[in-house]
Amino acid sequence: MHEKTVLQMPVNRVEGDLDLKVEIADRRVANAWCSGTMFRGFEQILAGRGALDGLVITPRVCGICGTAHLTAASRALDSIAGAEVPDSGIRLRNVALMVEHIQSDVRHGFLMFMPDFANPVYREHPLYEEAVRRYEPFRGQAVLETVRETKNVLEIVATLGGQWPHSSYMVPGGVVSVPGQSDLLQCIHLLRRYRQWYETRVLGCEIARWNAIRNASDLNSWLVEKEEHRQGEIGFFLRFAERAGLDAIGKGHGNFLSFGSFDLPRETQVKPGRPGEGQLVPAGFARGTRVEAFDAEKIEEHVSHSWFRDSGGPRHPFDGETRPYASGSEGAKYSWAKAPRYDSAPAETGPLAEAVIAGRPLFVDLVSKSGPNVFVRELARLARPAALLDPLEIWLREILGDGDFYSPPGEITEGVGAGFTQASRGALGHWVKIEDRKIVHYQIITPTAWHASPRDDAGIRGVMEEALVGTAVKDEQNPVEIGHVVRSFDACLVCTVHSISKRGTPNSARLLQLV
Amino acid sequence: MSAKNTVIICVGNRHMNDDDLGPRVYDSLARREIPGDVSLIDGGLMGLNLLGIVEGAGRVVFIDVLQGFAPPGRPVVLDRASALEERPASYGHNGGLTYLLRMLPAVCQSDLPEIALIGAEPPIAPECVDEIADMAMSIATGERYGRERSTTIDAAQPGTP
Repeated sequence: MHEKTVLQMPVNRVEGDLDLKVEIADRRVANAWCSGTMFRGFEQILAGRGALDGLVITPRVCGICGTAHLTAASRALDSIAGAEVPDSGIRLRNVALMVEHIQSDVRHGFLMFMPDFANPVYREHPLYEEAVRRYEPFRGQAVLETVRETKNVLEIVATLGGQWPHSSYMVPGGVVSVPGQSDLLQCIHLLRRYRQWYETRVLGCEIARWNAIRNASDLNSWLVEKEEHRQGEIGFFLRFAERAGLDAIGKGHGNFLSFGSFDLPRETQVKPGRPGEGQLVPAGFARGTRVEAFDAEKIEEHVSHSWFRDSGGPRHPFDGETRPYASGSEGAKYSWAKAPRYDSAPAETGPLAEAVIAGRPLFVDLVSKSGPNVFVRELARLARPAALLDPLEIWLREILGDGDFYSPPGEITEGVGAGFTQASRGALGHWVKIEDRKIVHYQIITPTAWHASPRDDAGIRGVMEEALVGTAVKDEQNPVEIGHVVRSFDACLVCTVHSISKRGTPNSARLLQLV
Repeated sequence: MSAKNTVIICVGNRHMNDDDLGPRVYDSLARREIPGDVSLIDGGLMGLNLLGIVEGAGRVVFIDVLQGFAPPGRPVVLDRASALEERPASYGHNGGLTYLLRMLPAVCQSDLPEIALIGAEPPIAPECVDEIADMAMSIATGERYGRERSTTIDAAQPGTP
């Protein structure tokens, strides 16, 4: 006789409105459904507006990925206008987006993922007390340091883009802000301060030493090489994760997707992510570690299980529709998220996908041996700043000697274009049609649309749904393993109402005396 | 970091009618003459990213929607500790105002400013928005305000000294 229970749970420490239903049989997840519970509707907001309005509106899609949305919106308009962005315009766009990544990666790690290590379910883990000291919400040492350091490094985006978040300094043809020499020197100072913290506290070694790790065996040797390596946050993660069995959960479909990011300026010392190509983070699609060239025509969205009106099968984003349809097909439709697919396949995206598609040896080796899992997915996120900090400083220095930021592309009156980039959480695309100086069509596919996707027309589960299947759950009242799997994707279902509420009915409150 | 002594930060989303109190109060205050030592900030949904604005200020007055502290439509003024009563400890990507208020003593890289939070629970009438704007200016410019003056009074008579 099999025991079967169903857990329906809102998931905290992910962004936005994610409702998760899992069916558990014999203490393992037998099936899962991810539901985005809020209709967003930015596509409708944009239709009928001026051609450039996406530059201001789409950075408001998300309070944490504003630079990525601005990048995608600008690149879509670049494509329509045939704009040639000058070298320092490219550098300035890249720098802000890279800073967005390096702060997001550690905030997710130490404020959202690692607090689960301080869950009482791990009280028998020999590193539990140390995990509490590091990651206890509001008090843990790593938590406090992360808040301080990320606040400081984000000043780079505010300096270059005028504000953080929701900057709108990119335009077709380049950028409109021209930083002075003192601004750039201040940015370099802020970057070095962040790097010093990242090397000392997160890696426990210099970036060059970390980047020399090429496989699982090297990683084990690195861990025992010095006490600093063991005590750094990544060293602690490795030690905790091994005993917690994080490499045994969260496998998923095993497909990876990157839209590519960070165009190289024509003149630069930064090397491409793959030899002969023009970006630091290459685009591609991989089944396991077998990488294929990226083809944007292979992207489609399915709505058979989403609360949108069916349009006769999957559609390319240029042809897609966003028509809410929450009645009928009860039971079959269960999410406000659509189901994007690449070449008819679901795919995970984000730092691990970037590492696999770029052929970074450590992650290719780890995925080759064990497939994707919670451990390698989170490790890739914690280690991504090590791949970005060197080129980031090089580009800031190169801007110092080059003042070419903007090349006017002329008025945009009509055309069709797509803008691709990598947001902190993965592949982000904007598909835009302009007619008579107005937006007539705007489709956005976010990284979490790939991850939190519901089933597609063929009934294939979305990425997180599939990754949850098979997860062993020790305590259904405290299913920390499910949290590990979901949070390893750094799901972000965008913001909804934010307010401060007090539990219970209105009663007396402590008030301040007014003058 | 603010160069001014007092900051009024209006928090919320003007596109969500159950979260638009901060922007409405911001609009009301933006039409008024603000003293030179007071900064008015449209804080949007910046949450933890407001830390850099809070640091260095002597006094910060937040405006945001409140729920459960008083009957709908009535203004309430809370200090930092009261605003956090019974709140769960959870972090989203931006943290939110609650997260910022809870983290502030541990991460503020300046002296901790005096903090007041003024709000009301929807639905909120236009006259209540103006009343909250008056209260914000009163606290921002007043000399009698201070954490040590916190007191517990009946929320059935909110907004009255």
